[in-house]
Parts: sequence; C-alpha cells; structure tokens
Amino acid sequence: MSQTSFSPDLTAAVTTVPFQRRTPWWVWAIGAAVVLLLVVAPLVMDIPTNQMLARVGVFAVAVLGLNVIMGYTGQVSLGQIFFLGFGAYVTAYGVQQEWPILLTFVLAIVLPGVAGLIVAFAAARLGGLAIAMVTIALPIIGVPLAKRLSDLTGGSQGISARFSDAPEWSGLADDQWQYYLVLLIAAITFVLVYNLTRGKFGRALAIVRENENVAKAMGISPYRYKVMAFTIAAMIGGVSGFLYMVVVQYTSPETLAFHHSINLLASMVVGGAGSIAGSILGGFYYVFVPNLTNEIAPTLTALIQGIILLVVLFVLPGGLASIPHRIRRMLRSRRADTDSSPSHSK
Amino acid sequence: MGEFIQLVVDGLAMGSVYAALGLAIVLVNQSTGLINFAQGGMAVLSAYLTYAFAGMGLPLILAIVASVIVSFALGALIERFVMRRFEGGDPDTAVVATVGMLTLITGVCGWIWSYNNLHLASLFPAASFGLLGAAVSWRSLGTFLVILVIMLGLQALFRYTKLGLALRAVADNPASSALSGLPVGRLLMVGWGLAAGLGAVAGALVAPRLTLTPGMMDTVLVYALAAVILGGMMSPLGVVVAAWAIGVLENLAAVYVPWIGHDLKIAVPFVLLFIVLLLRPQGLFGRKTVVRV
Amino acid sequence: MTLLELEDVTAAYGRVQVLESVSLSVPDGGAVGILGANGAGKTTTLRAISGTVRVGGRITFDGKDITRLGPEKVAALGIAHVPEGRGTLPNLTVRENLMVGAYLRRDAAQVRADIDYLLELFPNLKERIGSNASALSGGEQQMLAVSRAFMAKPRLLVLDEPSLGLAPSTAKNVYDAIQRLRIESGIAMLVVEQNANLAFRIVDSAVVLETGRSVLSGSSEELRGRDEIRKAYLGG
Repeated sequence: MSQTSFSPDLTAAVTTVPFQRRTPWWVWAIGAAVVLLLVVAPLVMDIPTNQMLARVGVFAVAVLGLNVIMGYTGQVSLGQIFFLGFGAYVTAYGVQQEWPILLTFVLAIVLPGVAGLIVAFAAARLGGLAIAMVTIALPIIGVPLAKRLSDLTGGSQGISARFSDAPEWSGLADDQWQYYLVLLIAAITFVLVYNLTRGKFGRALAIVRENENVAKAMGISPYRYKVMAFTIAAMIGGVSGFLYMVVVQYTSPETLAFHHSINLLASMVVGGAGSIAGSILGGFYYVFVPNLTNEIAPTLTALIQGIILLVVLFVLPGGLASIPHRIRRMLRSRRADTDSSPSHSK
Repeated sequence: MGEFIQLVVDGLAMGSVYAALGLAIVLVNQSTGLINFAQGGMAVLSAYLTYAFAGMGLPLILAIVASVIVSFALGALIERFVMRRFEGGDPDTAVVATVGMLTLITGVCGWIWSYNNLHLASLFPAASFGLLGAAVSWRSLGTFLVILVIMLGLQALFRYTKLGLALRAVADNPASSALSGLPVGRLLMVGWGLAAGLGAVAGALVAPRLTLTPGMMDTVLVYALAAVILGGMMSPLGVVVAAWAIGVLENLAAVYVPWIGHDLKIAVPFVLLFIVLLLRPQGLFGRKTVVRV
Repeated sequence: MTLLELEDVTAAYGRVQVLESVSLSVPDGGAVGILGANGAGKTTTLRAISGTVRVGGRITFDGKDITRLGPEKVAALGIAHVPEGRGTLPNLTVRENLMVGAYLRRDAAQVRADIDYLLELFPNLKERIGSNASALSGGEQQMLAVSRAFMAKPRLLVLDEPSLGLAPSTAKNVYDAIQRLRIESGIAMLVVEQNANLAFRIVDSAVVLETGRSVLSGSSEELRGRDEIRKAYLGG
C-alpha cells in the first residue's frame, strides 16, 4: 500500500534485524562477563532464584524459536507454545516409559519438528499472513487434543516426570543441576542459531523477509525457506519443551494454552525481534512480567500487558535489544546535523 | 433425518457468526491491508456493551443497536489512533499490533466485567418449531436470518451506493483515490467502523449460546480465519459459503464421527483447510493474487 | 491570468534533495510541458503540486497558497492529477472509475451527461464500460485515467508521462484525445513528458528540468529551435 500521508515510514518492522555489523569489542567483553556470571551464579544463589533463572532459560529458547520464524523470516506465528507443549509431552511420556533420556531428548526435538513441517507445507504456500492465521489454530486445537489423548498425555491431569535430579557424581543440588542443564542446552541452541542466521541461510531468510519477489528472482524459493524456518522454529520449540520439563517437571493441557502464545509473542517483541540478545530479554520478560502484573493488579494484568505491547510497538519497534542501536543512531545523526548544510525540506 | 436437519440449521447459525466475523476481517483487510486479530475481541467488547445497555434498562433490541453504534465509533477510533501508524509499513508488525489490541481489549473486558461467565439474553425465544420431523431452534434460525440480511445489506451498500464505491476505491488504490479528492483517512475509519459494527451483531447473537466471557470469541476467530483462507480474501461470497460449510460440517462431524465429538470438532475446519490448501493453494474461491511489485 | 505558479519549490525524500529550485507558471487555459531526463525531478514536481510530497518554496493556485495542502484539498480546489502509472482502480469497472473521478461533484445529472460525452470521445472505453479496469490495455487505461481526471471538471489537469509504456501509435492516439479534450473544454494542462516531440503537439510552452532545477523555459517554437533541446530530446 502506498503512502498518502506526510509522515515518513517510522514503522521499523518488528521483523527487522537491527543493523548488522561486526560485533564491537565491548559487546564481547560484556558477553564474557555475563557468561562468567551465569556459570558462577547458581553456586551462590538460593533455590528460588536458580529456578527463576532456569525458567528464563527455558523461555528464552522458546522465544528464540519464535524469532527464527518471525524475527528472521518475517512470518507471524501464533502457535509456538504448541511446539513447546508438544516437546514437553514427548519428554514426559518418554520419561514415564523409561526410555533412555537421550532418545527422549531427540524425539522431543524431532516430533515437534515434523509437526511444524506438516503445518508449514500447507500454510507457507498461501503467502501473506496465512502462517499467522493457521498457527493460531495450533494451541486452540492442541488443548482439547491433549485432553482427549489421555492414554498418551494423562488427559486433563497432565503428566509428572522427575528426571532431572542431580546425579551423585556432580555434587550439586537439584536446582543447580537443572540450571546448568538448561544453561548448557540453551547455550548450544543459541550458538547454533547464531551461526545459522549469520551465514548463507540467514541471509536468504533476510531476503525472503524483505521482498519475496526479489528472492524468487535470485533463485531463492520463499516457500522452501519459510518451510525450513518454520520447521527449525518448531524443533527449537521442542527443545524448549524438554527444558520446560527439566525445570517444571510437570505438563498439562494448560501448558499450551493460547494466551501463552500471545505472551511469547509479546516477549519476543519487547525483547527484540530478530536478535539473539532480544530472545534472552524476551525470556526474562516472559518469566517476570506476567507474574509482576498479576501481583500488582490481578484484574488488570491482561490490560497492562496489552498496553506494554502496543507501547513497545509504537515507541520501540525493535524491542529492548534495539536500544543500543537507537542510541548509536541518535548520536550519529546529531553529529551529522551539525556539519551538514540546512536543507529545505520539512 | 430430524437430527440431521437440526444439526444443519444449528451449523448454519454458527456458520453465520463465523461468516460475520470473517467478513469483518475481509473488510478491514481490503480497506487497510491488515489482518485484525482483535476482530473477535472487539466483538466481545461489543457484546459486553450490549449487556451493559440491557442492564441499564434498554430493551434488548435497542441495546444491540446502541452497541452497534458505539462499536462503529470505537472501530473508527481504533483505526485512526492505533492502527493508522502501522498501515503503510510491514504487515506483520501490524498483525502484532492487533494481537496487542486483542490482549488489551480482553483485559479491559476482564477488568470491567470480570472473568466470570455472564448471561446475555437472546433476541429469540428458546423454543423450537417442527420442520420435516426435526425440532428447529428459533435461535438458530433467527441468528442465521439476521446475519444473512445484514450481509446482504452490506453487499448492497458496497455495490450501489456512493459510500460503497468510495470504500472500494480506497481499498483498491488509496493514493490514486486521494487524487480524486476522496477523504482517504475518513473512509478507512468508516471501513473499520463497519467491520466493528458487524462484529457487534455477531457477538450479540452468539453470546447467549456461548455465555459471555472475555475469551468468548477466541475460537470463533479461529473459525473465521479458516473461512477467510478457504474462501479467499478477495471473495466475500466465498468466505460466507466457507463459513457456512465449516459450521455445518463441524456439527455433523461432532455427532456422526464419535471420535471427534464436540471437543475436537474445532479440528475439522483445519483438516479441511489443510487438504484444500495442499490441492489448491489460493483457497476455494480466491484468485491467484497478482502482486504489484 | 496565471492559474498556477511555482516559486523556488524544493523537495526532499529524507536526506536526498530531489528538487533544488523549480519555478514555472501555467496560464489559465494554457498548456505547459515539463521536460527533462529521468531523475530530473519531473514527477516530484507534480507531486509537489498535488500535495503528495512535502515541499518548501511557494505554490499558488488561482491566487491561493496551496504549498501545504494535502491531495484531497488540492483536488477539491480544481487540480486533477493523473499520476505516473495511471492510477487506475483495477478492481472497479470502467464506469465506476469514472464515477470515482466525479466523487466531489454534486450534480448527478451533469455527471451522467459527462460520462456519456467521454464515452463518445473514447469509443474503446464505451465498449468496455462494464469490464474491470485491469482488463484494459495500456492505452485504454491511460484514456480511462485521463477521463477520470476530467470527470472532476478540474481547472487544471496535471499529467505524468501519458505516453509511458505505450506503443508510439497508441501514444499518439492518447495525445490526440487529450488535445481534443483541451480544445473542447478549455482547461489548463501541465504535462510531464520525456518524449518532447509528443509534448510539443499539445503544449504552448515548456520548462526543462535538470537535476531538480528549472533551467530553461520558453514557448514551444523557441525551445524546438534550440540546439540543446534538439539534441537531447528531439533526436538531433
């Protein structure tokens, strides 16, 4: 649609990757400090904090998955929680059936991935916002399905599965062990995604996101890349489901409820779409903010979250992760304005 | 046979509600290029408004009319002050904004009226009448007819009035329409207003059956979206037919296919959708869209 | 009497200055051409007039300052702009496109009469009156776009490259039709054209733009005679 109004298009797309350049040294420094903190933290902090941080890790991975399909490929998905739930259920079932944990882990990734593949096959061909429109159905169908398949899922009661107690040889407490498990798997996932998005695959995704016709002209099939991205997002969702079980050790149909999907979406936007740091910030948002708003004003909690999401979209479309970039741009333009000659334009 | 007819009529009634919401979505999409995921939420708010007006003593029919008028205004204001910002830009950002609106509106409803189930009276009596050996519910028939009449009215508006022509022109090419002097901004507001009004009617008609809660239309939205995909965004008739088909089929499946039952019948439209999309990616009625690069 | 006057008009898209200083005027009932190479700022000049881009400087129409007005107000004052690419409404029929052109008018009977007049003038359009505009050929769409602008009964018709994308014979037909309209209605015209030969068929004078500046102006005879014009735009 073309513009008829005067204002320039300030709408930095939610699905825009902030300006990619070689990461400056101070980001590496901060990163190293953070890593150090992360590794040492659980040894000194108390149980609730460790559990909180572990949950952040779980949902940071979930948001990362959402980012792959939304932030990097530009397709709105409202069903990410479904893949988390699916992964959690697979894990719970596997533990219950006493399968080797590695097998369970692999299945928790593969099965949701297959589901994602099937959904994407149909939806990606429609283009436009079809993936959004179809994914909304996933949690909505998922909940009654989970209740119905009670042999596999334990029905409305859900399944409990304890398997993440700290082994003897580690000398760690349960919460610390869980924390490290989440940290390790999340870190590996993040590194893999980071590499993926910085490479040829990521560049292709960016082109598909910007302009599908241009992508086609370059021999990049938007359909194929959307399907791939969605499948990867689903697999990552499965990983987050496994991690969910590590920390929470219980899953039920409520795990995949629709409002969680919206919360994940909001977390991604607030954290920063299309960004690694943004996914982590999103994890923090998901774990802390709904609880916080619930404590402040239980009846207002949905209202507040809606307002936060809208405000972020209006004021800071790139999310919290885009703040350094925005500051840099502001400083740069201020410098430029002082040397350039006055322009006639308004 | 009797049960079959009952199921079909009930299915047509629910299908009409899906159709109304689906048409509202198409209307908004045609005029402003967005998919409004808050369309169902707005309809719920309208239903609560009907509840409030009725609670103030207005007869139900007037309460509904008042709610439609207020909803029209709300829809127009939302377009102007919330969505306008996102209209020229990335459509996915706009969708996320509508999701934000949905959360906000649901929150407002929950805050003002709580999350408990409220009861909204129906325009039609709870009785049934006999038809070919079936007990057909007045409510189902009434819902179907009211929505049908309104949809025909909208169709007439678009085809035969100056306002309708202007709305279609703006949807087709807003920049060019502005050059002919059409007040594009105001017309976009009217488009959203009409969609909101349509949603208000759908909400008021379905609330008695579903009971009024903030999340009442979440499932209806999903059905409406399925109808829009099946029918094709460019074809209002296709959306309506698809919606009716979904309503009827899910009812039939719920009863005649025991495994599906009433809780899983929501999967029916999506299985249908899935099959159709694999065979015919542009939907049942849609034309392959020509993308203006 | 001067109908339209541009004084020292500037325009920029973000940081890019597209118009540095453009001045021109169109007399009431006159026809002026804007010539220049691609990127000289011809389309931007027209957009400045119809209010679809923000500008500095001064634009006066019929004595009124319209520099800051948006497209809807400018149209209401009597300027009809046929944009680059014609701006047809593809999913509306030919008749509906014409009706949209008459949106601001209140005289329904006269509107109908005008439609009949235009259909007589353009028998192609008459044949396709019920088809969607997207089904028309390039030349027919151009005639439709011009007709639609004409339906507004404007005082000034602003045309952006009417010959763009058309075969030479079709372009000639379009220009002949525009000339007829002009003669029969006496409206003023401002025509952007890269093909100076075509432009000179209907304009009395022209302005040449180069990188956002109006560098040369004069009557058609004067300009036709000048070497630079001949070499750059008339093929030697």
